[in-house]
Amino acid sequence: MADEQTVPAQSPAPTTAAPAAQTPIVADPTQVRQVKEFKHNRPLFASRIDPSGRFVCTGAQDKLVARWDVDGDKKLEFAGHESWVRGMAFQPGGELLLTGDYTGKLSAWRYAADPAQPPVYTIEAHKGWVRAVAFSPDGATVATCGNDKLVRLWSAADGKLVRELGGHESHVYNVAFHPTGGHLASCDLKGVVKHWDLATGMAVRQLDASVLWKYDPTFKADIGGARGMAFSPDGAWLATSGITEVSNAFAGIGFAVIALFDWASGERKQVLRPKENFQGVAWAVAFHPAGFVMAVGGGGGGGALWFFKPDQPNPFFEFKLSNNARDLALHPDGLRLAIAHFDNTLRLYDMSPKPAA
Amino acid sequence: MTDCNYACRSPEHGISRRSLLAGLIGGSVGAGLVDSGLGHIAGLSHLIRPAVAGELAAQQKRVLVFFMAGGLSQLESWDPKPGTDTGGPFRAIPTSVPGVQISELLPYTAQQMHRLSLVRSVNTKEDDHGKGATFIETGRRDMPGQRFPTLGSAVSRLLAPAGAALPGYVHIQPGGAGVNKADAAFLGPKFASISIDNGKPPADLLRPDGLSLASDLARNDLRRKANQRFTSRRRTAETEAYAYSYDQALQLMERADVFDVTKEPAADQERYGSHDFGRHCLLARRLLEQGMTCVKVSHSNYDTHFENFDFHIEQLGEFDRPFATLIDDLAQRGMLDTTLVLVISEFGRTPNINPGLGRDHWGSAWSVAMAGCGIQKGAVIGKTNENGTAVADREVDGRHLFHTYLAALGLDPKGNYPNLNRPIPIGDPAGELIKELLV
Amino acid sequence: MIARPFARLIRLSPAPAALALLAFVCVWTDSSAAQEPSLAALIDQQVNSELAAKGITPAGPSSDAEFLRRIYLDLTGTIPTLGEAKAFLDDPSPIKRQQLIERLLNSREFARQMQRVFDVLLMERRPANRVPQAQWDDYLRLSFAANKPWDQLVREILAADGAEGALRPAARFYLDREGEPNVLTRDVGRLLLGRDMQCAQCHDHPLVDGYLQADYFGLFAFFNRGFVFTPKEQNQPVLYAEKAEGDVAFKSVFVAGATDQPTRPHLPGQKELEEPQYEKGQEYSVAPADGVRPVPKYSRRAQLATLLPRPETMAFKRNIANRLWALLMGRGLVQPLDMDHGGNLASHPDLLVLLAERFAVMKFDVKAFLREIALSQAYQRSSELPPGVESLPPESYAVAQLKPLSPEQLGLAVLQATGITDVHRVNLGPALNEQLLHERIAGSLGSLVNTFAGQAGQPEQDFQATLEQVLFVANGAVLRSWIAPQPGNLADRLNKLPEPPAVAEELYLSVLTRRPTPEEVADLTSYLQNRAQDRPIALQECIWALVASDELRFNH
Repeated sequence: MADEQTVPAQSPAPTTAAPAAQTPIVADPTQVRQVKEFKHNRPLFASRIDPSGRFVCTGAQDKLVARWDVDGDKKLEFAGHESWVRGMAFQPGGELLLTGDYTGKLSAWRYAADPAQPPVYTIEAHKGWVRAVAFSPDGATVATCGNDKLVRLWSAADGKLVRELGGHESHVYNVAFHPTGGHLASCDLKGVVKHWDLATGMAVRQLDASVLWKYDPTFKADIGGARGMAFSPDGAWLATSGITEVSNAFAGIGFAVIALFDWASGERKQVLRPKENFQGVAWAVAFHPAGFVMAVGGGGGGGALWFFKPDQPNPFFEFKLSNNARDLALHPDGLRLAIAHFDNTLRLYDMSPKPAA
Repeated sequence: MTDCNYACRSPEHGISRRSLLAGLIGGSVGAGLVDSGLGHIAGLSHLIRPAVAGELAAQQKRVLVFFMAGGLSQLESWDPKPGTDTGGPFRAIPTSVPGVQISELLPYTAQQMHRLSLVRSVNTKEDDHGKGATFIETGRRDMPGQRFPTLGSAVSRLLAPAGAALPGYVHIQPGGAGVNKADAAFLGPKFASISIDNGKPPADLLRPDGLSLASDLARNDLRRKANQRFTSRRRTAETEAYAYSYDQALQLMERADVFDVTKEPAADQERYGSHDFGRHCLLARRLLEQGMTCVKVSHSNYDTHFENFDFHIEQLGEFDRPFATLIDDLAQRGMLDTTLVLVISEFGRTPNINPGLGRDHWGSAWSVAMAGCGIQKGAVIGKTNENGTAVADREVDGRHLFHTYLAALGLDPKGNYPNLNRPIPIGDPAGELIKELLV
Repeated sequence: MIARPFARLIRLSPAPAALALLAFVCVWTDSSAAQEPSLAALIDQQVNSELAAKGITPAGPSSDAEFLRRIYLDLTGTIPTLGEAKAFLDDPSPIKRQQLIERLLNSREFARQMQRVFDVLLMERRPANRVPQAQWDDYLRLSFAANKPWDQLVREILAADGAEGALRPAARFYLDREGEPNVLTRDVGRLLLGRDMQCAQCHDHPLVDGYLQADYFGLFAFFNRGFVFTPKEQNQPVLYAEKAEGDVAFKSVFVAGATDQPTRPHLPGQKELEEPQYEKGQEYSVAPADGVRPVPKYSRRAQLATLLPRPETMAFKRNIANRLWALLMGRGLVQPLDMDHGGNLASHPDLLVLLAERFAVMKFDVKAFLREIALSQAYQRSSELPPGVESLPPESYAVAQLKPLSPEQLGLAVLQATGITDVHRVNLGPALNEQLLHERIAGSLGSLVNTFAGQAGQPEQDFQATLEQVLFVANGAVLRSWIAPQPGNLADRLNKLPEPPAVAEELYLSVLTRRPTPEEVADLTSYLQNRAQDRPIALQECIWALVASDELRFNH
């Protein structure tokens, strides 16, 4: 499975070319360091890297999607959305980037074009926010979810509605395709995870991520949802991330947490937390092909990047980030991470072993 | 001024209770408080039967206050700035008033805009919950050693009919109970709000088990006889007030279900919704229709330092439809012109969005909404700048608003409270009316 | 000087005149050792001459029953037991009223009542956050039991910083106002000097000449350096501390372009204090440091404690004289009690001056002062209007004022009326004393007092009857439990009396401190006859009716 670097929301794709003679570099999270900064002018919200590893795209607290050269200085902006973009996904084996905004619109972009082109299509995907966008492993179908409590499946080619999956009783926060295709997981505000069989469109079971949800009786409001969601490349694990043990929803007093499920049994096997409780939200989670879990968070004390083994509740490595982190994308080289920060900055981090002195 | 035949010292003597009763019942009251139990109660209880209630209610002025506890974001409600660095993700939507847009989170309210007015230029300079609440509700800055009545208490004192069975001022909030003495300040607890929860009457309103109706009426007869004897040579306004308060309570006990929203038609209960705020709005309608002078409904909570956008979706999602329904119902029932409606909060929320996607306390440029008695329809007073970081035009604060509330009700904010033992002006002497808001 | 008032007395109708004459003579002979007439006599002189000048015919003297209930409530805060009532009413002695006054003034119950009265006067029901209520209560009560002079009490309170053990509770005045200088300025002005200068904080009072902004800030300057100090050590009580620096300046919000005017401390209408200057670094005897309470060499607070409670401070004397007068008479000579100024004249200006001066001459002896008022004719008048008279102005003192019972008086009176207090007495047996009885009752009082009390930190409002209060009496569980029969209480005793006349006597004496009239006996008799099948219920109805009546609710 070395060729398939199936990080969620990115598709299996050919690895970046490497001369056969070189041994592949193994990522060492304990040596992670920042190697580059990309400056935007509004707080960043989302980051994704395209399957070729050439571009990283971001959403921010504005109406733009920005495309940055990972290894260069170019920045392009895709305009057309009418509100913030948090949900975005690159098409595996294709040329499209799908982005969803907080007015409920979903747009498809030929992201490699330069100069930037208007979207190939834009559809009204949901009433209210599009919270997440995911691509099927074969690149043919796009899943979206939103505040209308619906999950919808669209044909990537033309944006036609393929199927609507109803049943959630609160806002649907996140959605992810199982790497083998044919199955979808979605998670709502109250931590209800539904497993959909796409052949029938039926929810075949529910997983319990309610550790991510709290009704705060003082403020009379619900806080929850899977802010990040990812399957492991082999499909054995599902990770959902967010906030838990909330004592004050309106001040965000609670702890960053990742709930890890064994997909086969549907049982929650592990609750991953930073060793010393991190006050804030685990905003994004991803699996590394080498088998460890990566997550980023932000809260009162700034930002952090954590690395977990799935069988250990606490991280084997924690890296303090200079600023609140909202999203995480793994480069297909398996070494670099693009993290979207609150301080208008996208930062690139490198986990390759540092050159010997 | 009155035909009291005793030395009047109490604030109650402003209205002759006897003439009020005589006028309503259309017959002699005379010593009238000494009838046999059931007949007496029946004689007075039509004071709160719907028909007479309706008549009374139509002439009487009322106040309905929506208190958005915690600090409602003006940017997510009355004064959106979509697309700016401060505006957040929501769009603005058109309303029933051409040229006026509000946040997309209030679609039903947008359809009632022609009945509402907005003040978008509020600068109270307060970002503390307690002080902000004090300023917006009492019209005076919170200062140590001084406490002024809230609008509801002031209006209860100045407008509530003296003989009314219903308390003058009720505060509907989840889990509410008890008397909020601080509301009334120097006016005294009689004018404080009584907190109630939906469906639950004030404490001790229901006759206890073990006390039969017959026994209660019999003992009240004895009480009245005793009072008659005592006051034959010793009557004061106070002995009258005390004695009569028992009769008022008996009337209210007869109709304790006035506090029970489930007695409203099922269709209305559906329209308003089964969530707390929906039921509270329907209860407010019920109480106002029955002639209550001031109803305050609190909606919790808006203090969104974290995830401001998610939580405003949730809270305004609860607020929008019942509020709009209530405005519409009041208008349809001909009550809106005599009811002053306010939607207020301690302060607004910062244009700046913090790292937790929250907004913090902000008293420098925020909005309140009003409707009803004495208020223009569909007006927008004042403006903030392009991204809401400052007032751009017609800056006002709690003093001006309070003066305006009073004037809208036909009261004089520059006058003193009547029958107080010291001269205290009703509005802050440094306050002025927002004339363009008044009809 | 004696002849004129005597002559006036003769114009009254015979029976009251005789009684008044007797009282007058008794009063006069009591102070026969002195050359001057007693204060009681002077009071009556002034009041009666005003009545004569206005052509007002006053009410006659109170009946024994009126007087009995009134004096018990005023001096002990509750009504007499049935036995005490009977004993007084049946006592033929012509000097029983003076004797009762003496006995009550010297009782422990009097000290307790003064404790309650002055707790409310000085603290206005503010919560006891910094000093436990019990300690403050003890301090007050022991002060009154020892008949501590009022000026000394005020001096202790104003000088207190909470550090000294025995006098620590006196610091509650400062500490439970959090040392907030504006609150203190207003409250010291109102409660100790009879002036509500709240409006003068921002400008000269718009409506009252004589309440100047300069006076507000002169008083404020005594407090601006004070603050509540919290020791670092655990479980150490907070103290009221003072810095050596901090100056006060003020300007009017109504004067455009006004500049700040500095002021040093001064009492209203008096000169600014001369204050010592110290070299920098020399101002403290205990310098401020982290965790260390500073003690300045010169304390503004100490100056206030010396200057305010003195005979030379006219406002101090007038205020206390007026308040003590109002306590017994139902309204102040200056009304409201904290609005003493040139535009709000006293109803009897000379009398107020007299009372103020005499109180100072008596060395601020509270007990002696109250005695004189209680002995006066004006105090002992009936509250019943004379026949043919529809109303009398309250400020004339031609008829005794109805005074609503304070929340504490109401609670204590109802507990006594329903016999619950008697039940406690019996339960205490030979161990019975005032302290233990008070402790037994205290718990029962709480909910009633809360329901009838006004808002904390606000001046006592005019009488109001609120829905909450009425429902407490009508439907509340607490009162129901007091009225329902339990061994030894009133309902139980009435159940055991077979004859309606005996029932009526027991009922009226217990609840209303008087015997029933023949009509009342007749009414009760027929009521019970009609209710033979559920007599106990009927009896409870009768008890409730009297407990809920105006006659109980008011002191007359």
